[in-house]
Amino acid sequence: MRHRLSLFLSLGLALLSLPAMAEDVDEAAPVSAGLKLEAVPSVMQKAVDDFIRPGYRDLMEGTESLAEAAHVLCNKPSEETLGDVQMTFDEVVQQWSTIEIVRVGPVIEGNRFERFLFFPDRKSTGLKQVQRILATNDETATAAETLKGKSVAAQGLGALEYVLYGTGAEVLTSEKNGFRCRYGAAIADNLKSVAAELHAEWEKPDGIQAAWKTPGPDNPVYRDGREAATELLGILVHGVESIRDQRLRPFYAGIVKGEPDKGHPKLAIYWRSGNTMPALSANFMALQTLFNTADMQALLPDDRRSMVRAINYVLQAIVDDADQIDLPIDEAIKDEEQRGRLNRILQNTNDVLQRLNLDFGGAIGLGAGFSFADGD
Amino acid sequence: MGLIDRRDFLTMAGAVWAAALAPRATFALSRSAALYASAFRAPDGSYGVATLTEEGEIIAREPLPARAHGLTYSPITHRAVAFARRPGTYAMIFAPDNSVEPIVITSADGRHFYGHGCFSADGRLLYATENDFAGNRGMIGVYDGTNDFTRIGEFPSHGIGPHDMTLSADGRMLAVANGGIETHPDFGRTKLNLDHMEPSLALVDTQTGALIERHAMPDNLRQLSTRHVDIDADGRIWFACQYEGARNDLPPLAGSFARGEDIRFLALPEETTLALANYVGAIAVNRQDGLVGLTSPKGGTAVTVDAKTGQVVRQDSLADAAGIAAAAHGFIASSYSGQFGDAQSKVAWDQHIVRLGTL
Repeated sequence: MRHRLSLFLSLGLALLSLPAMAEDVDEAAPVSAGLKLEAVPSVMQKAVDDFIRPGYRDLMEGTESLAEAAHVLCNKPSEETLGDVQMTFDEVVQQWSTIEIVRVGPVIEGNRFERFLFFPDRKSTGLKQVQRILATNDETATAAETLKGKSVAAQGLGALEYVLYGTGAEVLTSEKNGFRCRYGAAIADNLKSVAAELHAEWEKPDGIQAAWKTPGPDNPVYRDGREAATELLGILVHGVESIRDQRLRPFYAGIVKGEPDKGHPKLAIYWRSGNTMPALSANFMALQTLFNTADMQALLPDDRRSMVRAINYVLQAIVDDADQIDLPIDEAIKDEEQRGRLNRILQNTNDVLQRLNLDFGGAIGLGAGFSFADGD
Repeated sequence: MGLIDRRDFLTMAGAVWAAALAPRATFALSRSAALYASAFRAPDGSYGVATLTEEGEIIAREPLPARAHGLTYSPITHRAVAFARRPGTYAMIFAPDNSVEPIVITSADGRHFYGHGCFSADGRLLYATENDFAGNRGMIGVYDGTNDFTRIGEFPSHGIGPHDMTLSADGRMLAVANGGIETHPDFGRTKLNLDHMEPSLALVDTQTGALIERHAMPDNLRQLSTRHVDIDADGRIWFACQYEGARNDLPPLAGSFARGEDIRFLALPEETTLALANYVGAIAVNRQDGLVGLTSPKGGTAVTVDAKTGQVVRQDSLADAAGIAAAAHGFIASSYSGQFGDAQSKVAWDQHIVRLGTL
C-alpha cells in the first residue's frame, strides 16, 4: 500500500480529486456550522419528556377508556353507551393523530404502527377482511390475544371505525354481547395493548428515552448531537410530507390544470366517523407543538431565528383552516368556501415543508436541505 | 409505460431547454470532452442532469421532471440514463454529446423505479431495478434500446428492494444489490420492515432471468442493507452497505465476491468505519488502478481502498459527500453542497456520478 501511494504521489497525480484534502484519517467529523450543538441535549430532552412521553401516556389512557366503554356497550347496549364509545373513539383518534407524527422508534417495530392504524387501504383489502370477520362471526376475532395474530388491517382504528360506523352498526345499540360488539371490544383491547407497549418502551429510564437525550459514541440511536437534531427535524419534514401525500392529496388533490379536483371522499381517512379534518388538524397541531415544546429554535443560529415565526404562522393557518372545515368531507369538497380552505391547506403545507426542509435544514448545517441529505 | 414526447416533457419539467451553452461552458468543452454525468438540484429547486469535464466543470444541463438518483452509460451506443429517485416513475435516456433528443420513459403500472440500472454489453437493452409493490418483490425491467426503450419484459431480482446493479464484462450476468428493505409508494420512502430485513446480493442470468447464486447477509447482519455495487477488472463484484441497526455497532460496510465464492467483507480500520457513519452512499471501482472508492454523506467522508490488499489508501473529509467515480488516477468525488472534484458549482449534486466512457 505504501508503495502504491508513494507511486501516485511521486507522479504528482491526484489520487482523489477533492477540495481542501485532509490526509489525516483521524480527521474529525464535519462541523455543521449553523447547528447550535450545545442546545441539542436540552431540545431532545424536551421533545421526549414534554411531547413524546405525554403523547403515549395520553394514548394509553385514552385506549383504556375506549376499551372500558366498549365492554360496557356490549353488556348494556343502548344509544347512550354507543355514544360513549364513539366519543372515546374520537378522543383516541385525536390522541393517536398527535403522537403518530413520531414514526421512529418502538412504533415502527413489531408492526405496531400498522396494528394501530392500517392506512391507506387503497384496494379495500382491510375493509374486506373486516367485513368477512363480521359476515362469518369469526370468534377468533373477539379476543385481543387471537385478534393480534390476524391481519393488521383487522385490528386497528380503521377496523373499529367500521364496526362503530359501518354498514350494520345499528345492532350495537340492541344486541347484548353480540358478535359485532365483542369484535369491537377486542379491537379496543388490542389498541390498549399496543398503546401500553409504546408507553412502557418510552418510560424505560435506560431505554429509548435515554438514547434520545444523550447522543454519544456509545448511543445505539444517535452518535452525536448532529444526528439527533437531524432526526428531530426529520420528524417534522417527513410528517408534513406524509400528511400531504397520504392523508390530503388522495381525497383532494387541489387545483389540477386550473380546475378543482373532484376528489375521492371515500379515500379520506376516518370519513365514516367524520374525523377526517379533526385528525388532520391534530396532525398539524402536533407538528407545531413538537416544534415549540422542544424549543427547536434553540438549534438555530441567532440570526436565523426569524424563520420560527413564519413556520408557526403557516402551521397555525393550516390548523385554523382544518378546524373550519366542518362539513362531511364529500360535501366539503363540493362547497366553494370549504374547498377554498382545502386549497389553502395544500398551499400552506407545501410552504411549510420548504421552510422546514430548506430553511431550517439549511440553517442547522444541512446545506442542500433535509430531504436532499437523506441519501439512498 | 409510455413515452413522453420531448415537448410535453419540457412542459412537465417546467424548464427551458438550454441547448445553447454558456460561454464558460463552451470554453470548458473546448478543453475537455464530457467525462462525467451527475444529477443535481438547481438553486431554484428544479432538477436536472449535467455533463461535466474531468475537472468538474459543467458542460451542459438537461432538465428533469423530478429528482434523479443513479445513472448509467453505454460506451457502445453512447447513451446515458438518469433514473428517478425511488419511488420515482421516470427514466431519461440521453446522449451526452447532445446528438439526439432525450427519451423519457415511465415505469409500468404496478412498478416504480428504484433509482439504478445498467445497459447490456451491446448497449441494446436497458435493465432497471424496479419494485413490484403489490407483490413486494424486486424486479428487473428490460427496455429495448433499438425501439425507443419500449419495455419488453421483466424478471425477478430475486430479493426485496433491489437498488443498484452492475453487469459482468461478458454481459451474461447482472449483480444486483437487493437491499432487503420493503417499501411501498403509498408510504413514500418509509422503510417498512427494518426489524425483518432480507438483504442479499444476487447474480442473475441476463438471458433467462434465472438466479445463478444468491448471497444473503449473515444472520447477525440482517440489518446490513446491500445498496450499491461495482465490478473490478477481474470480474469481482464490490458492494457497499447501509446499516439500519444500532448506531453504536461497527458492522462491515463493504466487501466483495466473485462468482462461486462466498462474500468477503472489507476489514476496515475502526476509524474508517466510524468515519463512514454506518452508511456508504456510493461505491466505484477504478479498474486500471485496482482501487475501490466509497463515500458517506452521513459521515462526510471519502475513502479509497486497495482492491487487492483491502488496505485503506487514503481517507478524506468531504462534507455532504455524494458521488464517486473513477478518474484518470484514483477517483473524483462530489458533494450535496456543489463540489465536484476541485470545482464548485451552484447546484446540489445528487448521490451518484457516472463516468462517460471507460478508462
